[in-house]
Amino acid sequence: MLLLDYQNVLIQAVLTERFSGAPPVSIDQTVSDFDGVIFHISTPESKSKIMVSLQIRCYKDLVRYGAEQVLNREYGPYVVAPEIGYDFSVVVDLDNLPAEKEARDELVNKISLLKRNAMAAPFEQAYQEHYRLREEAAKFTSEEAPQGVREGGTVKAIQYREEEAIYVKASHDRVTVIFSTIFREETDRVYGKVFIQEFVDARRRAIQNAPQVLFRNDPPLELQGVPGVNNTGTGEVGYVTFVLFPRHLTPQRMPDVISHIQTFRDYFHYHIKASKAYIHSRMRRRTADFLQVLRRARPDSEEKERKTASGRTFKQGV
Amino acid sequence: MSQSLRPYLQAVRSSLTAALCLSNFASQTAERHNVPEVEARTSPEVLLTPLTIARNENERVLIEPSINSIRISIKIKQADEIEHILVHKFTRFLTQRAESFFILRRKPIKVVGYDISFLITNFHTEEMLKHKLVDFIIQFMEEVDKEISEMKLFLNARARFVAESFLTPFD
Amino acid sequence: MSIIQQHTQATLSDAWRTINIDALQEDSSVNFDTSTLHPALPETSEAEVRQLTNQVRQLLRGGDAEGALRGCLESPVYRGRDEAKEAHLQTVIEVLQSIKASDMTPMLQRIYASPGGTECLDVLMKYLYKGMAVTSGGAGKSNPQTPTRMTPQQTGFSQMSGRPGGSSESTGGAMSVLLSWHEKVVDVAGLGCIGRCMTDWRKV
Repeated sequence: MLLLDYQNVLIQAVLTERFSGAPPVSIDQTVSDFDGVIFHISTPESKSKIMVSLQIRCYKDLVRYGAEQVLNREYGPYVVAPEIGYDFSVVVDLDNLPAEKEARDELVNKISLLKRNAMAAPFEQAYQEHYRLREEAAKFTSEEAPQGVREGGTVKAIQYREEEAIYVKASHDRVTVIFSTIFREETDRVYGKVFIQEFVDARRRAIQNAPQVLFRNDPPLELQGVPGVNNTGTGEVGYVTFVLFPRHLTPQRMPDVISHIQTFRDYFHYHIKASKAYIHSRMRRRTADFLQVLRRARPDSEEKERKTASGRTFKQGV
Repeated sequence: MSQSLRPYLQAVRSSLTAALCLSNFASQTAERHNVPEVEARTSPEVLLTPLTIARNENERVLIEPSINSIRISIKIKQADEIEHILVHKFTRFLTQRAESFFILRRKPIKVVGYDISFLITNFHTEEMLKHKLVDFIIQFMEEVDKEISEMKLFLNARARFVAESFLTPFD
Repeated sequence: MSIIQQHTQATLSDAWRTINIDALQEDSSVNFDTSTLHPALPETSEAEVRQLTNQVRQLLRGGDAEGALRGCLESPVYRGRDEAKEAHLQTVIEVLQSIKASDMTPMLQRIYASPGGTECLDVLMKYLYKGMAVTSGGAGKSNPQTPTRMTPQQTGFSQMSGRPGGSSESTGGAMSVLLSWHEKVVDVAGLGCIGRCMTDWRKV
């Protein structure tokens, strides 16, 4: 598995099974996802009514950037008042499912993308803002454009983890997405640097049309004055900037780009961990080799087994 | 094997062979004790002149001989930050398994710059073959360098692959 | 009461734990006088070293590399200030670097066969180890006031022409000269030569 999935596989599996026409059972399952997101699948009223609830720590931020509209658009008829302790809930009635299999699968997919859709709101807003700014900017030449158009929109901060955040900023010619990420250990920092360097270089080397990737240890200029951004100066925090260009910003590509860029932080850290694990297993193997060499230094202790004249073997006492 | 590595390892090999000439020697300070003199340092007359063999500033070996034990410390090549961290991880991994390595010291000596140390006592040379012990040290030095650079190559290759896979869908 | 108070105050710090009581005992093994292990040696002054360096350089210029090598190996600086020792080490290294690789073994064999030859090669071995210890940075082992960079360019007639570049590269070059001498000396004089280096209390 190289790339991470956008949907939650567990929810997908549970719902697919339920929707397949199996006899209804009661469910009460808590499902975790990346970034401390928790899902709760349950059947509170009757076995045929499945409720899926989402808990996400930055829901307040997301609502500010229009999450409710996005979620209502996606889940319209299924939305119910959120379950206590959760931020958003949908209920699906098994007796009232779409008739065609395709439509049912579609619904399963949609629900398993709950986290993605909740997180997508600020990005969608940034896209809209970008379209608006582009239209406005088209009326001016670059020198005489009013301050607001040249500078672009305000920075949207999504504090999606305790110490890490995504910042999104729209301008008339680009959308900038900045991930702040923490490297707790020296090793992670060094490995992370190697990986990031390749992200930065990939555009130059192989994939010319990819978004531009930048990395720095201090907050980039875009984040000046944004609350919650402070320069610790310890080099623990890194800022990864993705610059999305107009070719990534077409309405047709919007859903894919948003889904994909959301997975960056988890993808990045997942591969750092995977490399560490591999290197560890390599060291283990190499250490075994060394031990083998050292063992050769001990004079042979075999030849304990001798044969008698009749061909039977016996062990010689040491 | 690169051109300058061979004489370096050859020099380490001959120096080690000459230094591994140990005999049983009881402590002169504590009765009924028998300690490696190179560690205890309580009898100056049984400590011999330490020998340094260097290939360049970043790779060297220090051999500290004494009457009943010798200490070998190795500075492993570290060209950059990645190699530094890999050497650190690897030596840590090894020293945590010092028990099964018999001659591996749990910590490198205090002299700055050495990454890993071995301590060979007369008891080791009595039950193990001396030339095989030398072989082990030499092979260790060879393989460690190789392993570190292979791990570094792997890390870079993986990073490149991972980055390109992530960015390709944007194309 | 006051005595008790004084006592506890004195023992509050842990410093007394680290006192090496063996060192305070006069007949302890820690206090063994190692100067009794070798005969008293005359002290060599820096002026003498300089004079010798000049003689050696003259010989080198005259093309008598073997004479130059013998010259500096027959009068090693065993006792003297660190500066004098360093200066002599530089002279030895200078000579070593000016000798072609193909001349090494025959020259060593001639020296080894001549009277006092074993002693000469032992001294050479000592300087080889010292050269590697000092030049590789020594990591605080050699005193830092006397930075000894091996500068192959300085001499003018080094066959290892010092490449202008990273210092690590140039020391690497200097090291490989010492390493190849080391190999040749072991070939000619055997492992005993290294053994004598370790055990000899006359240190260069």
